[in-house]
Amino acid sequence: MENKNEYVRGFWAEGVPFIWMSGIAALILISLIAGLLILVLASGLAQFWASDLAKISLSDGSYMLGIIEKEEKTSEQNRILVRIGNRDVNGLDFKWVEASKISKIEYPPTASVVERDEYGPMYGFITSLNVGETVVPSTNAGFENIMRAEIDAAREKGEKMKKLQLILDTDKKEITALEVRIRKLEDGENAGTPEALLQKADLEKRRVEMLEAFGTVLTSAEKEIETLRVDSDSPEIQVLLAGGEKPSLKLKKIVAIHSPNSMGVFNKSALYARNVAKFVWDWPRESNTEGGVFPAIFGTILMVFIMVITCTPLGIMTALYMNEYARHGFVLSALRLAVNNLAGVPSIVFGIFGLGFFVYIIGGNIDAMFFADKLPEPTFGTGGILWASLTLALLTVPVVVVSTIEGLSSVPRANREGALALGSSKFQMLWNVVLPNAMPGILTGIILAVSRAAGEVAPLMITGVVKLVSSLPVDSAWPYFHLDRKFMHLGFHIYDVGFQSPNVEAAKPMVYTTTALLLLIVVSLNATAIILRNKLRKKYAGSAL
Amino acid sequence: MSTMEQTVNEIDTVAVIARNVNFFYGETQALFDININIKPKQITAFIGPSGCGKSTLLRCFNRMNEVILGTKIKGDILIHGTDVYKEGTRLETLRKRVGMVFQKSNPFPMTIYDNIAFGPRMRGLKDKTKLDEIVERSLKQSDLWQEVKERLNRSAMDLSGGQQQRLCIARTLANEPEIILMDEPASALDPISTSKIEETIQELRNYYTIVIVTHNLQQAARCSDHTAFFYLGRLVEMDATARIFQNPSQKRTEDYISGKFG
Repeated sequence: MENKNEYVRGFWAEGVPFIWMSGIAALILISLIAGLLILVLASGLAQFWASDLAKISLSDGSYMLGIIEKEEKTSEQNRILVRIGNRDVNGLDFKWVEASKISKIEYPPTASVVERDEYGPMYGFITSLNVGETVVPSTNAGFENIMRAEIDAAREKGEKMKKLQLILDTDKKEITALEVRIRKLEDGENAGTPEALLQKADLEKRRVEMLEAFGTVLTSAEKEIETLRVDSDSPEIQVLLAGGEKPSLKLKKIVAIHSPNSMGVFNKSALYARNVAKFVWDWPRESNTEGGVFPAIFGTILMVFIMVITCTPLGIMTALYMNEYARHGFVLSALRLAVNNLAGVPSIVFGIFGLGFFVYIIGGNIDAMFFADKLPEPTFGTGGILWASLTLALLTVPVVVVSTIEGLSSVPRANREGALALGSSKFQMLWNVVLPNAMPGILTGIILAVSRAAGEVAPLMITGVVKLVSSLPVDSAWPYFHLDRKFMHLGFHIYDVGFQSPNVEAAKPMVYTTTALLLLIVVSLNATAIILRNKLRKKYAGSAL
Repeated sequence: MSTMEQTVNEIDTVAVIARNVNFFYGETQALFDININIKPKQITAFIGPSGCGKSTLLRCFNRMNEVILGTKIKGDILIHGTDVYKEGTRLETLRKRVGMVFQKSNPFPMTIYDNIAFGPRMRGLKDKTKLDEIVERSLKQSDLWQEVKERLNRSAMDLSGGQQQRLCIARTLANEPEIILMDEPASALDPISTSKIEETIQELRNYYTIVIVTHNLQQAARCSDHTAFFYLGRLVEMDATARIFQNPSQKRTEDYISGKFG
């Protein structure tokens, strides 16, 4: 009896239930995180795998061709969901089929998936390749290779056309800009004055020169574009669909063709790698539900980068002042409280502030001062990547301030006194001894700031994020950095594809993949900072001796 | 002798003069009416039980107490005749003249070379050959040169505790100070490192005025020319070390030295 009491008392004194509870809490948290990761990764990464095309024969004699997405067994019914594709013909992507109506399911090796620019994938049997008058039936030997060569050629022609068109447009724009300037000189306040006339003559001369120089190029380019268009218009393939339709597809609109049922694991893996690469490097198609997310990756990383290089110095300066120079008292305490609470302000409020302050006030004034000739069309007076990044910098600066203050206070007093005793000024002490020592703390702040900023969407929606952009904020056109441009962002992409696209069910895999990618980017940005921090920590290890 | 004449006389023969120094941490008074003269190019030891104010007085000489908020000093401290608490005194210049070695070695997390060159660099010296000279001279003076000359570009944090402390002495010497204050420089070290430090101090005795605070009475007896005994914020007595340890004039000094309290 005595022993038992002892045991019970020990049980409570050692806090066994508490240890269990804390362990369970940690377990719950870890499984939540793991579950989320597994869900996102499994669903996201599965979308690049080429699923087999099933030919489902129905009891009424007709058949369907598509990918079996899932089976649903309830007491009342037993049905399967088939992705039937061919949106242009069927009007929808998915169809439920009663299991009782199915007579046979097979996987014919010739069934093909045609990826194209519009209307999502097409599932069917390719019957022939038509180039002009020549018809090559798919039963011919080596048909597949011929077809692939033709598709590549057609796409190449298309790319060439686009490039020529771009050159043509830029040249035309330059000439138009010259003409605008000439017209301004004619109608402007100083019209008729000798200087204006002189300037005008100069511009006129340049215009004539340009026209001469470009003239021949322009006409030949226009001709070439025309021939390319006629050329690439003609080759087509004919496809037999499940419903018996036999549409023709222009080759230049085809992205890729593959027959999953006849592919081995090796071929499928190769295709998988190609698909992943395409997802990362291509631009979106079909209102973002297909193609790649390259502009969104680029926008996200550039935005985080601009955010870090603006919020870090601001945060460090603020922390330095608060921790080292400001006099202790009511004002400092109030400031600390304000900084801590700033982190709790809803991000949309920062967005609204960014819109009002950066976009309308600062951007508006920049436009009035430097881009007056373009008004009323705004340059900086509208949302753009610069303003969005600065808004996020404001949002994350408290995090940097708090971590930097922690880093500064953790620098041993012995090091500060050592520097002062050697006759360094306070500034020299801070700059040469304290700041390098506080670097790990500062990097922790940057890590937290990056994590917060990369996942933030709400404030971006009103300061410069858009669904689709035609050009990146950095390109080969002078001055290379176009920070006034709108941009795409992975977080917004998830929202847009998942909830705003016309075909949510078809876009679901895309949402998972984009989420996985965003997580990957945040993790790798953080990993870089963490590796850097650990290196610095090692360097300063022992300084507390 | 008039006061004026006395002052002029003292300037020649005295490195540090403290006159009627009272020191406060906030409301608490830590030093009471301290009057002390410290002779140049000799070693003076401050002894006394913990909390007696010896470190506080030491830190008054280079105004290191000002790092702590809410401290206040009354009275004068003259270093070779200049009043260090006069308005407009540049702390950087004062601390170059009056160097300090702390209880815990506090090398910066930089290379050995950068640690030594820190002081001269802060005063704008960039000339590589001059810096090289200073580094070599300082390390030789602190007996560290033979041990580290091959690895000047390695981190100072890799050195042993005793080496780190000698590095800190070398770092102070690089400033060519007039006076070196040492705040229990060997209290955190093992006996072998301690004797090394003591040797170094002996070698410096003819070139620098050294004031050393120590808890170790044997150390004070071994190293110093003069010893001052402090108790509860007051200077009890100061005399030649031999006299203090053999024939002190005050009862309290005798009690402390013979181990009756401490």
